[in-house]
Formats: sequence, C-alpha cells, structure tokens
Amino acid sequence: MLRAEGLDKSFGALHVARDVSLHLAPGVRHALIGPNGAGKTTLFDLLCGMVAADAGRVWLDGADVTAASADQRARAGLARSFQRNNLFADMTVAANLATAIVLAQGHGPVFWKGLRRLSGVAAAVAEIAALVGVDGVMNQPADTLAYGMQRQLEIGLALALAPKVLLLDEPTSGMSPDETAAMQRLIGGLPPTMAVLVIEHDMDVVFDFADRITVLDYGTVLFEGTPGEVRQSEAVRRRYLGAEA
Amino acid sequence: MTDLAQDRLRLAVAAVMAAAALLWWATAGFFGHELIAQVAIFAIFAMSLDLLVGTAGMVSLGHAAFFGAGAYATAGLTVLLGWPAWLALPASMVVAGLLAVVVGAFAVRLAGVFFIMITLAIGEMVHAYLFRSRTFGGDDGLGGIPRPDLGALGLTLDDPSHFSLAVLTLALLVYLGLRQVVGSPFGQVLAGIHRNEARMRALGCPVRHYKLAAFTLAGAIAGLAGSLAAQHNNFISPELVTWTTSGEALIVVIVGGMGTLVGPVAGAAAVILAGHYLSGLTEYWMFFMGLMFVAVVLIAGDGLQGALERLARRFGRAAG
Repeated sequence: MLRAEGLDKSFGALHVARDVSLHLAPGVRHALIGPNGAGKTTLFDLLCGMVAADAGRVWLDGADVTAASADQRARAGLARSFQRNNLFADMTVAANLATAIVLAQGHGPVFWKGLRRLSGVAAAVAEIAALVGVDGVMNQPADTLAYGMQRQLEIGLALALAPKVLLLDEPTSGMSPDETAAMQRLIGGLPPTMAVLVIEHDMDVVFDFADRITVLDYGTVLFEGTPGEVRQSEAVRRRYLGAEA
Repeated sequence: MTDLAQDRLRLAVAAVMAAAALLWWATAGFFGHELIAQVAIFAIFAMSLDLLVGTAGMVSLGHAAFFGAGAYATAGLTVLLGWPAWLALPASMVVAGLLAVVVGAFAVRLAGVFFIMITLAIGEMVHAYLFRSRTFGGDDGLGGIPRPDLGALGLTLDDPSHFSLAVLTLALLVYLGLRQVVGSPFGQVLAGIHRNEARMRALGCPVRHYKLAAFTLAGAIAGLAGSLAAQHNNFISPELVTWTTSGEALIVVIVGGMGTLVGPVAGAAAVILAGHYLSGLTEYWMFFMGLMFVAVVLIAGDGLQGALERLARRFGRAAG
C-alpha cells in the first residue's frame, strides 16, 4: 500500500535518513521504533512529502508519488497525525473536524451553500468525534481541551480523511494510562484494510498491536521483522531495548 | 457561546446597522445622503479586505490597487470608451478581479511579512503607473464619470438620495454574499488556512489555490467599491490608489474586529463619520482618531465586534 525505497536526507552535516526502505501491506499494523533522534519523525515527513528527500522513491497504492506534494499525497490517501498537537487552536472541536471532513469529501470549493446545510459533513463529523471520543466536547475550542483530548482530536483529524495509509506520530505520548488504553482500543478498532504505521515509545503498546516492527537508528533501518523476531534480535536489544527487554 | 450563537449575534448586529442606516437615509438631507454613500462604499471596501485579512489571514497593504482598478476601469470604460455606466460596473469588477488573479499568482506564494511587502510594492506600482499615465490624466485624474441610468426603474441616480440608497443596497448585498461565503465549506477552508496552513496541507488542501480564489474574490469586490467611488465622485485620481487607502481599510478591519464582517462595517462608518464631524471641531482630529484606535486595540485586541462577543459570552454564562 505504501512503499519507500532508498530514502535519503541530510540537513547539512546531519544525515537523518540513510537508504531507508519500508513496505506497508494493506491492513498492516506496523510500528516504527528507535531512540530519540533516530529520524522517525523525519521519515514521516519524507513519506508525507512535507520534507523533500535527497534520494529515493515513494509509492502509494502502486502510484509513484515521489514528486507529489504533501497535499497531493494526502488526497491520494495518505494521512498523518503529529507528534505535537497540530490543531486549529481557537476553533471548536466540531469546526476542527468539519474542516477536515470538508476537504475529505471534496466540498472545499463550495462557496454558495452553508456549511451547516451539508448533512453529509455533519454526519461524518459526529461519526469521527464518537470514534475518537471527543463527542462530549464538540462546542469547546480545541485549545481549551485537556491534553489527552487534544491528542484524540489530533488523531481524529487524520482519520477524517478516511485514508488508505495512516501514519501516527507518538499517539500516546503524554497520556495517562487510562488514556493510553483508550488510544490502544482506538488503534485496534481501525478499519482492517487501513495500513497503519505508528511511531511509539511504549513497548507494551508496540508489542500489543504491531504485526511488524521497524527499528530505526541514526537514520538507518537497524532491523525489521515481527515482534517476536525483534524481541530475539541481539542488535536491537543492545541498541535500543536495553534493560527493558 | 457556540458558533451558531456567535453567527446569530453578528446577524443581529448587521440588522441593527442596516435599520440605523435606513432610518438615517429616510431623515437625511443632501449632505447626509452624500455621507451615507461614502460610508457604504468604504464599508464594501472594508468587507472585501476583511475576507482576505480576517477570514483567510492574508494581511494585504495593497488592497487599494483593486479599489483603484475598479475606479479607473469605470472611468476608462465610460469616459474614454463611451460604455454605459451600468455595464461598466460589472466590467470593472472583472478588471479588478483579473488584476487580482495576476497579482495573486505571485503574492500567494509568500506568507507573513513577505506577503505584506509584495502587496505593498504592487500597490505602489499601480499608483506609480496611474500617476504617470497620460491616458488616465496622470496626477490630475479624470472627470465626468456618469452614474448608471436606472430611469426604467424610476430611479434617478444623479440624485444623492437615490444614489445613496442604491449604494446602501449594494453594501447590504455584499454583506449577505460574503456572509454566505464565510459560512460555506469554502469559508471554512479559508479559516483553516488562516489558523494552520501546514495542517491544511497535511489534510490534502491545495492551499495556494484557495488563497488565490480568496484574493481574487476580495479584489473583485474592492473593484466594485472602486467603481462606485468613481461614480460617486464623478472623478478619479491616483489619490484613490495610495497605500494609505489600503492602510486605513486595514485599520478599520482590525479595529472593527477581523473576520466578523459587521465589525469592519462599523469601523468604516466610524472612520468616515468621525472624519466628518471631528474635523469640524478640531484640526487635530486625526490625532484623536489615532488615540481611539490605540485604545480599542489595547483594550480589545479582537476589535469592537470581538469585544461584543466576549461580553455576550460572559453574559450568557452568568445567565445560564
């Protein structure tokens, strides 16, 4: 569904991605792990087209999107959430979701109809809100929500696109154990055809949901395999899992 | 206050202002009607800038270029080419809109201060061209611009009473139209771009296309205001296109309340009326106007309409 070959990126002397290749099959639950500064978020930026790669190619659903812009890739079915909440701060939760739904449903150019008259938008907003658990705070501005709620809305915006491939950047970061459990249920309940790539530090979460794991270190793929294989790997244990495993 | 309550409050403010304007029109004499036309034209210009600045978040200091394009197009088409004024009016909007497409194609690639600078520069270029242009009378300007002949409707637009009512009606139509645009899915996308452009891209929004569309629509409506100004004054000069015209409209939008449409209309009325009445009291009226603006922005960073909405929120909480 999403394939990257030989992605390479340097910021000056800092080589943040070296010959990174990745393949997400339809419906896969794939985790991306690695120490801080390993280049995980940069890899998301490269996959989404927010940062241009120095070398390498990206295919989305069989089509070469290497030259496509971030918004073109999003329209082609690639959605992401951000590590730091990246919302429409002073808009209400409902308006945040409506903005994403309008784009997802292709109503953006419609200037002659009231937004409130589009029942399809309202229905989709309600559906996504219930899915990510923000349906109780629809009229609150996003920046007044508790941190965990903002995190859920962050995922909601990405899900609103009904993507083929969903990239989640540390969805449980800063969350309480309860909120983390809710997020795990949410990720577990995503449509089975959606390919999901998650950057995650919580190993319990990773081993719980992932079919495959890629370990990134200094911008290179250190290891890729099933959770069992990752647990067995001596290199991963030394570099990353350390005392935890 | 929910989004819906906020929307209703704005509509109520608009209704009050429209009623006040009609009452004023019904009781006004010759000078009153002249003032009403001036207020309504400036209000149309301010609303067009509000779509750009308040809704889409594109702060322009060159918006007068499109006002001027509308005014000069009307003058050129009627005086130089002999078109009827009723046809020159929509044609002037098209001319201003086309200029906005060309300017916008470059300008929307830039953001923040760079966008302000390029719009300022282009505004000054248009001013410099018109100042030199022999065709349009250079710095002397051009006179003898006719108003549309609406005799068939029983209106004599050369009568300030009829003209001011016509302009007032147009201002109301522009308000209702822009309100519709702001409340549409398109308006929601512009609001999203205003708040978080990068996130909009990640959601699949071709940001530049939307910015160009907003820039063009705002330009065309500024052109309408310009065309009406040319008809109102029967005269045009490069004075219309100076950057201070853009700056004054920007102040009106900020003081009135960005993105609210009704706020900038109130601001436009306040500036024109204060300019008229204060200038009779003191030579330093501009100084006192400036003081008032500073006070409003310091006390209510979100402008007059923003302050009203905050008050309504507080009242709403206290009441229920």
